[in-house]
Amino acid sequence: MTNKKFLQNTGTFLLFGGPSIFAFFAVVLIPFLFGLYLTLTNWDVRIGDHTFLGFANYAEVFRDKVFLTQLWFTLKYVFFTVVLANVAAFFLAFALTSGFKGQQFLRTGFFTPNLIGGLVLGYLWQLLFSQVLPYLGKEYGWTLFETSWLTDTDKGFWALVIVSAWQFIGYLMIIYIAGFMSVRVDVLEAASIDGANGLTKILKIILPLSAPAIVICIFISISRSFLTYDLNLALTKGGPFNSTELSSYHVVQKAFLSNEYGVGQSEAVVLFAVVAIIALTQAYFLKKLEVEE
Amino acid sequence: MKRSKVLILGVCMALVLSLLAACSKDNTKNNASGSSSEPSESQQATGSASQSSKEVKITFFNTSAEINTVFENLFKVYKQEHPNVTVELIPTPIGGAQIEKFQSLIASGNPATVANLDAGTIFQYKDKFLDLESDKAKYEELALPGAIDGALLDGKFIGVPYSAQGYGLLYNKRVVEEVIGGAFDPSTIQTRSDLETLFKKIEATDKAPVIIHGADWSLGAHYLGLAYSLQTNDIEKNRQFVEDVKNGTVDLSTNEAFNGLMDTFDMLKKYNARKSDPLVADYNKDSADFAKGEAAFYFMGDWSWAVIGTLEGRDKDFGILPVPISDNATDFGNSQVAYTEPKLFAIDNSGSTPEQQEAAKALIEWMITSEASQKAIIGESGLAMPYKNLKVESTNPMSSAISKYVADGKTINIGVINYLPSDYWAKTGASMQKYLVSKLDRAGFTKEVQDYWKSTAGK
Repeated sequence: MTNKKFLQNTGTFLLFGGPSIFAFFAVVLIPFLFGLYLTLTNWDVRIGDHTFLGFANYAEVFRDKVFLTQLWFTLKYVFFTVVLANVAAFFLAFALTSGFKGQQFLRTGFFTPNLIGGLVLGYLWQLLFSQVLPYLGKEYGWTLFETSWLTDTDKGFWALVIVSAWQFIGYLMIIYIAGFMSVRVDVLEAASIDGANGLTKILKIILPLSAPAIVICIFISISRSFLTYDLNLALTKGGPFNSTELSSYHVVQKAFLSNEYGVGQSEAVVLFAVVAIIALTQAYFLKKLEVEE
Repeated sequence: MKRSKVLILGVCMALVLSLLAACSKDNTKNNASGSSSEPSESQQATGSASQSSKEVKITFFNTSAEINTVFENLFKVYKQEHPNVTVELIPTPIGGAQIEKFQSLIASGNPATVANLDAGTIFQYKDKFLDLESDKAKYEELALPGAIDGALLDGKFIGVPYSAQGYGLLYNKRVVEEVIGGAFDPSTIQTRSDLETLFKKIEATDKAPVIIHGADWSLGAHYLGLAYSLQTNDIEKNRQFVEDVKNGTVDLSTNEAFNGLMDTFDMLKKYNARKSDPLVADYNKDSADFAKGEAAFYFMGDWSWAVIGTLEGRDKDFGILPVPISDNATDFGNSQVAYTEPKLFAIDNSGSTPEQQEAAKALIEWMITSEASQKAIIGESGLAMPYKNLKVESTNPMSSAISKYVADGKTINIGVINYLPSDYWAKTGASMQKYLVSKLDRAGFTKEVQDYWKSTAGK
């Protein structure tokens, strides 16, 4: 009897979980492990075969000064993007749960950038930065916009941050809204009766009670902004003179443009490790802030 | 109750399994037509259905992205003329990840049968392509003198050239003629000072003399690339020159052609229409501004016709001048324009069946010789073809202007770039960008370029 039950359970599991497990192995786990193996070889698409090298590629990674400076550049980019996107998304979500007319429409509106692919978004903003804003800048004498942001090394960085944040905000906002929904109304009402005003309510009640949403949002925005590639490609192509190349862009250039596949793949693994460490550490510490209602 | 649950479960399982089975069946079919050389069941089945001739499906990888649709329509015509051959286009985006896509096809063991690639890429992957030596005589017969020789890679014929392109200082005839007040004869500009005199006149009329497109490919591959081609008119000697730069036996800072070219660049910089924001590099806007007469000159090639040809309100006639590199009219380069056969058709030899390769050969010959194809390539795309006895005449005034230089033998063969590392244009292009915005002076710039070459030594 138990044997039959076990078979039944296995069957049900395979029925529902099987396809996902198969897909996970086929497109995530096996390629990842194979990729790890390739970093230990001198693999080259042009030749096709590969011999075992050991850790020589990784040594090369740490000699590649460009990669290290760009990793630092990426860290800065991730920091500002995550802060900007989360703060904006938090307050947007706060505003859009206050119950005024038309908030559904606005929610949809703010979410839309997330549905547009990074490439299209990049080209849209490229037009804005290189044509529309300079035109307006000249017309009205706004010196900040007179030249394209994308041809300046510093402003190019901020252009990247703004566009990525703009893309993430809608998505994070939805998670924050869901988080706020779980804060029970009676708790808020009790707080009002006790004389808590807006800011106190946010700081003392909403923020702690929606900590799970914050953990998720920061985790998502960190991992996504570390892997930004399409936006980088469409918006600045890493220019001017490689000053706005993010790590994943550099990895692709290294592997496919300079034909250094092994080093490129090793850099991708290093990048993976950095993302994993940062994202998991923040999740571990922020999770401690979660409180029981 | 329990039984019905089991029944439902069973039906669900059957559905899922049949779905997976259907997928796998599809896969084998694709493999059969794609890469495996053994005739599979499905192939045999279709073979017996149309007994007379076998169905062949070939794929065509296209990096001439601006004419994806032209090729797509052309393959439909081909299908009508050759019902048993299906050509499927694998398009790539303009300026997008073209080589990455090509590499991933090769790496996954599913290469395209025919690839339209830069000669340099074909050279890098030369082991993957079919040797076309047996067809060489036929194409030499068809092509303009020297065209097939120019397409050889390390002496081997592995790619068939289909287009010819040239670049230099394009000029807007109307603007220049308004400024000088009469017909403009390009042969009057033979030196840098001749050009600067003309630029001064243009500037006095409140028009911008020249547009320098600030993208790394234009600056690195086209402008700086001239430095390697201007050494001699022999590709082998130019290759040796680059090798000497790599191993440090040649110093660019004392090289005449290099310095002459950069002196001219300083001059162009001074008259650049994009002076206030030189790196803005919007290809469509730069081309359009030039075509509408806002600037008299434009450092670009005849391929910009793909943008300019369809513009409304543009000027009609355009010509081309060489980039002068000195004040001595007889120096090599001052009366020659850069000319190349940039893209070649090559046939895959790493995963295609002999039938597919035969079909690919027939397709390439048809694309070179048929009227339908010439109409598409010359007429619609505005490209020049390096072949004799063409049935279609070009509407592109820039490539016609270049053809005159070719006919007079006044060309710079820039074939040396086919042998350069695939990232040279991006890396040295970035240095050119720094020089363009004066972030580097000449000495710093020269050092950065030489450092790049030294870093590639032995790779």
